[in-house]
Amino acid sequence: MSVRYIPVQWNRNKWLYDAALVAAIAAYVLAFLELGAAEADRTRPVDGAILRMRAFGTCAFLMLTVVLAIGPLARLDRRFLPLLYNRRHFGVLTALVAFTHAAYVVNWYFVFAPTPRLENLLGSNTAYGQLLGFPIEALGLFALFCLGVLAATSHDFWLSFLGAPLWKALHLAIYPAYAAVVAHIWLGYLQDQGNPAFALVAGLGALTVAGLHLAARGRPEPRLPGDWIDAGRWDAIPDGRAVIVRVGAEERAAIFRNGATLSAVSNACAHQNGPLGEGRVLDGCITCPWHGFQYRPEDGRSPAPFTERIPTYRLRIEGARVLLDARANPPGTPVAPTPLPEGAP
Amino acid sequence: MAATLLSAATWYAWAGLGVAAVFLLWGAARCEPNARGAWAFRPLLVPACVLIWPLVLARWAVLESGWDEARRHRPPRRAQDLAALALALAIPAIIATALVVRQDGPREAPPVLLEAPEPA
Repeated sequence: MSVRYIPVQWNRNKWLYDAALVAAIAAYVLAFLELGAAEADRTRPVDGAILRMRAFGTCAFLMLTVVLAIGPLARLDRRFLPLLYNRRHFGVLTALVAFTHAAYVVNWYFVFAPTPRLENLLGSNTAYGQLLGFPIEALGLFALFCLGVLAATSHDFWLSFLGAPLWKALHLAIYPAYAAVVAHIWLGYLQDQGNPAFALVAGLGALTVAGLHLAARGRPEPRLPGDWIDAGRWDAIPDGRAVIVRVGAEERAAIFRNGATLSAVSNACAHQNGPLGEGRVLDGCITCPWHGFQYRPEDGRSPAPFTERIPTYRLRIEGARVLLDARANPPGTPVAPTPLPEGAP
Repeated sequence: MAATLLSAATWYAWAGLGVAAVFLLWGAARCEPNARGAWAFRPLLVPACVLIWPLVLARWAVLESGWDEARRHRPPRRAQDLAALALALAIPAIIATALVVRQDGPREAPPVLLEAPEPA
């Protein structure tokens, strides 16, 4: 949460997450170097540097596939939420692995070029008008640039300075980057491979990402006219949990039940716009399911010494229904919790 | 063309370094209360300053001129939905295209015994 920035906010869970990730990368690269050499076409042996660039390249692709699958998986099944918790470190490591792959490419294929290496890489193939033999180097460079921007802006400072909506908009570059990587692999490496093993892995991985994103696409809720929105039956909200209500084209509110009262706040966490309504009330505070940022239900403010604030909404109860005023209050505005009728379960 | 692109990228990066120096020594603490007195993390911000310095300058100007805090709670949900849909459609299209244009190499084709032409 807020309070003075430090280089990397590690804690025990993040250390474990990162250690498991680094161990998995090392195991994959070593296994690829061991098995890849044996599986290579003996009539066209590859050099050690080429094998290493393939090891890091395929590793980066698989990591990017997992990074992109985590979001929709966590939306479809809450058991995947712990993976989302440290996804930014996962992304930074992916960028580092991808840069290692690119460094091997540039320092192997273009090492004796008479012109600067990057200039040679960009100018060596300019057949942009054809699919077969398309300059996949440009696709790779584009993806690398996107991954670089995402990794470079992953610090909490950038989230706060840019604001979560702009930060998230910038990070949508992950989608074209992944499409470029898929094209980079399928129009490049896999055009020349006799062994179908990686083609199967790459195809299944990419198609899984496509399928998960289709499956997790949100279905728009019906928009009701007027300032007050019928948010459903109040007895359908479990204690400590919330229902999410759409209050505009881009906005959603989360109505939380905290014991015998209801409170409504913006569904977007001030940190990374995580879905607060999918979190719960812990120690009297609404807790974001992504990174644990907390807000008081009665005013949308983080408990001291933290300073985050989110918009609040007014509520009223009519019979069995709970109604929400679609006009959001400025962030941090106190709104008295709405008591449930006497004898509420 | 490649040389021109790289030359432009180099100038862009030098300008970004200049922006990084001013922003990290002076601007960051003006815009972000949590950055005041915190110096160890600032070198980590240099790459982003170099890569997106026009955005940094634009954002700095917005924050200096007053900031609509309510906008912080409007994530680009529609854009993300469209981007995810575009990716989901692009992936099978890319794979299908690559499989269509793929040419079988000599390893997949069975060897054919060539016979000498019949003598005339």
